[in-house]
Amino acid sequence: MTSVELINIEKHYGGFHALKDVNLTIAEGEFVVMVGPSGCGKSTLLKTIAGLETTSAGTLRIKGRDVTRLEPGDRGIAMVFQSYALYPHMTVAENMGFGLRMAKRPKAEIEAAVARAAKILRLEEQLEKKPKQLSGGQRQRVAIGRAITRSPDVFLFDEPLSNLDAALRTQMRVELSTLHAELGSTMIYVTHDQVEAMTMASRIVVLNRGSIEQVGAPLELYNNPDNVFVAGFLGAPRMNFVAGQVTEVSGSSARVVCAGGLEVGFEALVGKVSVGEAVTLGIRPERLRLDDAAARIRFTGSVRLTEYLGRETIVYVDAGPLVTTGSDSGTNVFTVQIADVRPFHNGSVVSLGFDPADAYLFAADGRTLTPPKAVAKI
Amino acid sequence: MYPRPLADDAPVRRFAYASMVVLILALWLVPLMAVMTTSLRSFEEVMAGNYWGWPKSFNFIENYMAVFTQTAMARYFLNSLIVTLPSVVGVLVLSTLTGYVLSRYRFRGANLMFALFVGGNFLPAQIMMIPVRDLMVSIGLYDTYYALIVFHVAFQTGFATLFMRNFIAALPDELFQAARAEGASPWQTLRHVVLPLIRPALAALAILTFTFVWNDYFWAIVLTQSDAVKPVTAGLNNLRGEWVSAWNLVAAATILVAIPPVVMFFLMQRHFIAGLTVGAVKG
Repeated sequence: MTSVELINIEKHYGGFHALKDVNLTIAEGEFVVMVGPSGCGKSTLLKTIAGLETTSAGTLRIKGRDVTRLEPGDRGIAMVFQSYALYPHMTVAENMGFGLRMAKRPKAEIEAAVARAAKILRLEEQLEKKPKQLSGGQRQRVAIGRAITRSPDVFLFDEPLSNLDAALRTQMRVELSTLHAELGSTMIYVTHDQVEAMTMASRIVVLNRGSIEQVGAPLELYNNPDNVFVAGFLGAPRMNFVAGQVTEVSGSSARVVCAGGLEVGFEALVGKVSVGEAVTLGIRPERLRLDDAAARIRFTGSVRLTEYLGRETIVYVDAGPLVTTGSDSGTNVFTVQIADVRPFHNGSVVSLGFDPADAYLFAADGRTLTPPKAVAKI
Repeated sequence: MYPRPLADDAPVRRFAYASMVVLILALWLVPLMAVMTTSLRSFEEVMAGNYWGWPKSFNFIENYMAVFTQTAMARYFLNSLIVTLPSVVGVLVLSTLTGYVLSRYRFRGANLMFALFVGGNFLPAQIMMIPVRDLMVSIGLYDTYYALIVFHVAFQTGFATLFMRNFIAALPDELFQAARAEGASPWQTLRHVVLPLIRPALAALAILTFTFVWNDYFWAIVLTQSDAVKPVTAGLNNLRGEWVSAWNLVAAATILVAIPPVVMFFLMQRHFIAGLTVGAVKG
């Protein structure tokens, strides 16, 4: 059953076009995560669904009902904010019962709803405390509890874990996923953290400059990005991109030459490229192989820097005339992620290699040219 | 550490500093001391010209009783309360409403309206003296409590709106969004979220308004005439007229008049300080 439907949603702020023709259908019980860089419109989109922002054009339906012009309180939504937005003068119980109190529900019903939410979130001991007596994680749980007591059709989360420290964030991530499984409600979650997106979402919506770039299951998006933006946005460390040019097309295969003379042959590109076309080659850091003679494409470089993360190692390799574009570090070196720990000395020469089947090819306008890769079914 | 602790300074500078403190304190407090001591003197002593010296006899009870028995001060006190309390309440209610709307709602003309509230404060009272008096005469409020109450509420609401607007604007926006998302109406948000959080501002504003209205002399003499309406400040002037040389009673009455604002300040001091600084240090 459909839970939330966004149809041709537009949003203008003065001259700024914040949301451009957004269309999205969310099914009942889905956990949809919206990700994108700062200013991509993900928070605006969430507030539009909440009704805290008006739409300039388009229709919004929740459970089949047109709510485009309704006040937030009448839409059947509950929202959890980044700063928790707890009322500082009220106790935890009063905070959680606020929405029902405003709706003038019977006292017994409010108490029952608060008790139920407190039980789910293990806040029974904290009910009489004020927000300032709680830790960050507890405060966030109260904010979630406040949403639960209203039994909304849709939960909206606006970067709810950004204010927590790393350890707590991991813990709350698991708790939220568990909560979703328990309640089975539709949840829409906005974050800029792709780990949260990958781990929690049943579907990810990648936004960029007010438009949806791609919608899909996390692994689908990771392995088969529609375009160079999604490919670069999902995955840490980031995909390596190398500018190149198509030099030869024969049948369905094509030959791409990159700066520095590296030649890569691609298959299954029927009718997609022509000779002389500028393209971008992409290869994920974990798909680059170090000192592996079996790799079909090989080139050499010198180690610039190594990060030992304990269970894995990230090596930055300067491959001379062969440069990457738009890397995290701002330098034009390759990022290699290997699954073990080996010592590397800065300046030592290493061999890099990859299999063309692991690489992606993107057109000048950003579209992905290479055919979809197989994705493990979960 | 800056500023350097006084104890670290050279002895000469330390001495100079301490002397200045004492001198300025004395200049400040001597007139107050003179009023206080004079309020204890006997009529004969005042007649003899002892204004500054130590009182020869202490007539505390006689003088302060006389203020109430021989003058109309009791009536003036009552008048002042009847004018001041509704004025304070009126200003607090109106400025909370205007401050809430001006800080939280964007609408056409909002800035102009806010500018009018703020700009009104800069009008000198003297300019408005005759128009306001004529207005009160023509609507039949001249020489009634309402003349003072209406005027003070109208005039004080300007500054109070500035104060409340800024205070409410400093509250986190997400609180209002949360309340709205939970279905609270604007009135419910005001009642359940805004009011509890602006209590320090209300306390500070209550003291400021109370002191201003209570101490007002200018409008008291412009807008009232009869003893039945006159507040204490204008009443004090009457004492001088009737009791040309009874400075001991005038002094006693003055002390009495000064007490309510001082008491008010000490009662609400904690909130007052919090109200003035709460914007600076985010709590």
